[in-house]
Amino acid sequence: MTATGVAVEPPVAVDPMVRARRHLPPLFLLGASGAVAVVLLAPLVFLLIEASGAGAGTVAHLIWRSLTATLLWNTVRLTVVVTALCAVIGTLAAWLVECTDLPGRRVWAVLLVIPFAIPDFVVSFAWASISTWVQGFQGAVLVMTLAVYPLVYLPVAASLRGADPGLEDTARSLGLGRVRTFLRVTVGQARGAILGGCVLVALVILAEYGAFEILGYRTFTTEIFTEFQISFNVSTACALALVLVVLGCVILGIEPLARAKGRAVRTGAQAQRARRRHRLGRATLPVHAVLGALVVLALGVPVGASVYWMFAGGVPFLTGVSLLDAGWHTALYSGLAAALATVLALPVALLAVRHSGRGGRLLERSTYLVLAMPGIVIALAISYFAERYAGGFGYQSAALLIAAYAILFFPLALVGARASVSQAPVAFEEAARSLGRRRDEVFLKVTLPLIGPGLAAAFCLVFLACATELTATLILVPTGVQTLATQFWAYQQNLSYGQAAPFALVIIAIAAVPSYVLARFFDRRPGRVGAAS
Amino acid sequence: MPEPDAPAATEGLTIVGLHKAFGDHAVLRGVDLTVPDGAFAAVLGASGSGKTTLLRILAGFERPDSGVVAVGGVILDDGHHHLRAERRRIGYVSQEGSLFPHLTVAGNVGFGLRVREGREAVVAHLLELVGLGGLAHRYPHQLSGGQQQRVALARALAVRPRIVLLDEPFASLDAGLRASVRADVLSVVRRSGATAVLVTHDQEEALSLADMVAVIRDGAIAQVASPRDLYESPVDPELASFVGEANLIEGTSYGSTAETPLGWLELGDGHRPSRQRITVLVRPEQLRVTPAAGGGPGIAARVVETGFHGHDSLVSLVTEDAAAAPMVARVVGGMRLDPGAQVTIKVAGRVHCWPRPPAGQAGPEAPAAGSEVPTAGSEAPAASP
Repeated sequence: MTATGVAVEPPVAVDPMVRARRHLPPLFLLGASGAVAVVLLAPLVFLLIEASGAGAGTVAHLIWRSLTATLLWNTVRLTVVVTALCAVIGTLAAWLVECTDLPGRRVWAVLLVIPFAIPDFVVSFAWASISTWVQGFQGAVLVMTLAVYPLVYLPVAASLRGADPGLEDTARSLGLGRVRTFLRVTVGQARGAILGGCVLVALVILAEYGAFEILGYRTFTTEIFTEFQISFNVSTACALALVLVVLGCVILGIEPLARAKGRAVRTGAQAQRARRRHRLGRATLPVHAVLGALVVLALGVPVGASVYWMFAGGVPFLTGVSLLDAGWHTALYSGLAAALATVLALPVALLAVRHSGRGGRLLERSTYLVLAMPGIVIALAISYFAERYAGGFGYQSAALLIAAYAILFFPLALVGARASVSQAPVAFEEAARSLGRRRDEVFLKVTLPLIGPGLAAAFCLVFLACATELTATLILVPTGVQTLATQFWAYQQNLSYGQAAPFALVIIAIAAVPSYVLARFFDRRPGRVGAAS
Repeated sequence: MPEPDAPAATEGLTIVGLHKAFGDHAVLRGVDLTVPDGAFAAVLGASGSGKTTLLRILAGFERPDSGVVAVGGVILDDGHHHLRAERRRIGYVSQEGSLFPHLTVAGNVGFGLRVREGREAVVAHLLELVGLGGLAHRYPHQLSGGQQQRVALARALAVRPRIVLLDEPFASLDAGLRASVRADVLSVVRRSGATAVLVTHDQEEALSLADMVAVIRDGAIAQVASPRDLYESPVDPELASFVGEANLIEGTSYGSTAETPLGWLELGDGHRPSRQRITVLVRPEQLRVTPAAGGGPGIAARVVETGFHGHDSLVSLVTEDAAAAPMVARVVGGMRLDPGAQVTIKVAGRVHCWPRPPAGQAGPEAPAAGSEVPTAGSEAPAASP
């Protein structure tokens, strides 16, 4: 799955004693962040240059045809249906786990999140390999809903966990029944998280290639891929990519609406009371059955089908060697890309957290535009750039793939970097300097130890996202090299399910386990990160 | 570049003409202050008065627009040259303590020490000093708020600063804890011999801890005095009300006495010209309240309201003879005075006064007004602007 930044901002008790002090950001920080923004937005510029090279008339001609209408209809209806389903499933599941006395909540919380880590194309492969019903529109709805509902579940669960239980009590005391309390207060408090999750779901669907290719469902992304990679029809691919970016921007435009409306405020700094959980009573068993079914469909089928094919097909001897080779390249590219993305994210995070002026906010917001650029678009723009300006030198070189990864997953790195930078308020550095420590010493002895763990976590997040990326990898991977994802893809396309299955399982394993650990890391109470060692 | 007056080479802290603005908003408008070596000074001000900005400039975290900051005759800041925070040897204890969360208590206290040998002994000694001997290996999140502030103080004192700045260090503590932490901090700072500057909005804290109190108002120092002088002789009525409870009464001076609605009062600060219109400050504890009317000499009054505080009560009173504003008296908690009760009040001791600005143009040539002072209370609102 193309993991996207899950920006969960817990409600903050407003402390009147903390006065916002405006500092002008240092020039080097502004300069570095500006450079990062330029790098991130470069693909968009390349795309526009390419389109204008083809001529406005040609582009308009390519866009105004029935194919575009078909693709638009396919993309939009799938996005709407899957987003709605994810909103309902994700919100209800989060409420059941966080707000009721459901037995085994901790286990459910883990099982419900793991499908997040399984790449969409693996889920799609597993379902398509066991049933011919799973294809086209209905197949895409099933697969995508099961693969991405955690994008709603995760922020909503975090929001419900941080929500003030006193508000529900207040609503009940004002005469609202259970159901109306749930709809008006509980969902109301979480509506920002729900909307935010839905935006991420929609963006993932716009960007998805592998899953739809397997299911034979045509969207903008699959069509761009076909035009560019198979028909070498760059102008058409480019025109369609423009439409895709516009769609992404429209969806991104919804996101600020979720943020602007209402913020949690709480007077007093007293510790939050423990939540009184709703009793499920006789509903306990049916709820277990429903959640169990969800986990079987989202987690059981992909894992089960892969295991089945591995044994049914009989694993050939050479698979082990190619696994090692592909694994090495995956680790190499992902590691370098994660390091690059983290380094790029740090100045922007510092600017955004410490200098919340207008310039800093604008810069940070501009980097969000990356979210509207699916992997296919970034890969397209970068390969075009390489061919046109670098004389074909870099095309399908490792450097381009790493750059594409770093740009694609920058928002993810930024989420991690922001979280870690907010662990190191300026007050700590000021205290250190008043104790006679020079700036370099302060950075090494105070700032770095405080933000280090968070940066490491951000690195891991990006590493995992890169390791399971398929679309951009297929276009930019150096000739003759296979990564885990591309090797899986090659076998899968030959219908060599037995050979594809071990790759699917390895991808699931490397994505799921660390994702769980990382989720726990970011879930820890603020103020504790880095304090435990 | 006009050379500002070089501060006299006194010990301690000298601040001359300090200005600072954030954008269009002037926060400090010419602050002058001198703190003698080894003194414990308090800067008292309402929120938004600029006191924290002043402290941050002293620490070197902010740069002043103009003005001079000097310590022991050495200029740290003059609006052009700026000595960095790490070179100033000025300790800073913030409101939250700002303990490094990744270091133990011992790691925090020893953070500023550069030498390796003897480090443990110094840290242990300081922790002993602040009464946290056994907690060297705890992490900050395992400490209570009061303990965190003590560690922050020990950390600041470890590097033997010339000045310790305390930025409302007790504000985030529970009321019960505050008194004991305050007392401990005071004794620790005294024993360390460092000059200390405490910033606070709590007048009780400033009066009880400091040798000298500087009241900051609208970005400038309104008065610097010992706590006793500040309380008894504030520079103007507004300051009198800011530092404690105050009854402000109109009167007319005759040499060292004054005629007021509360009778003839003795003035504390020397002679006043005869027949000058004045405002008299009567602190609540200067009002002696005797239950029952006609209980000896004094003015008859009626109790309006009683605020019970345990150890004492604040009683709101109106005098019988005029529709004057209610007055507040402090009585011991055991005295029971219900609303409506008749009492006799009398002012004890000398009182402080200020000449009143002339009312309109007619001020000085209005002897008639002077003789009618007993009823002048009702004129007060008209006269004050």
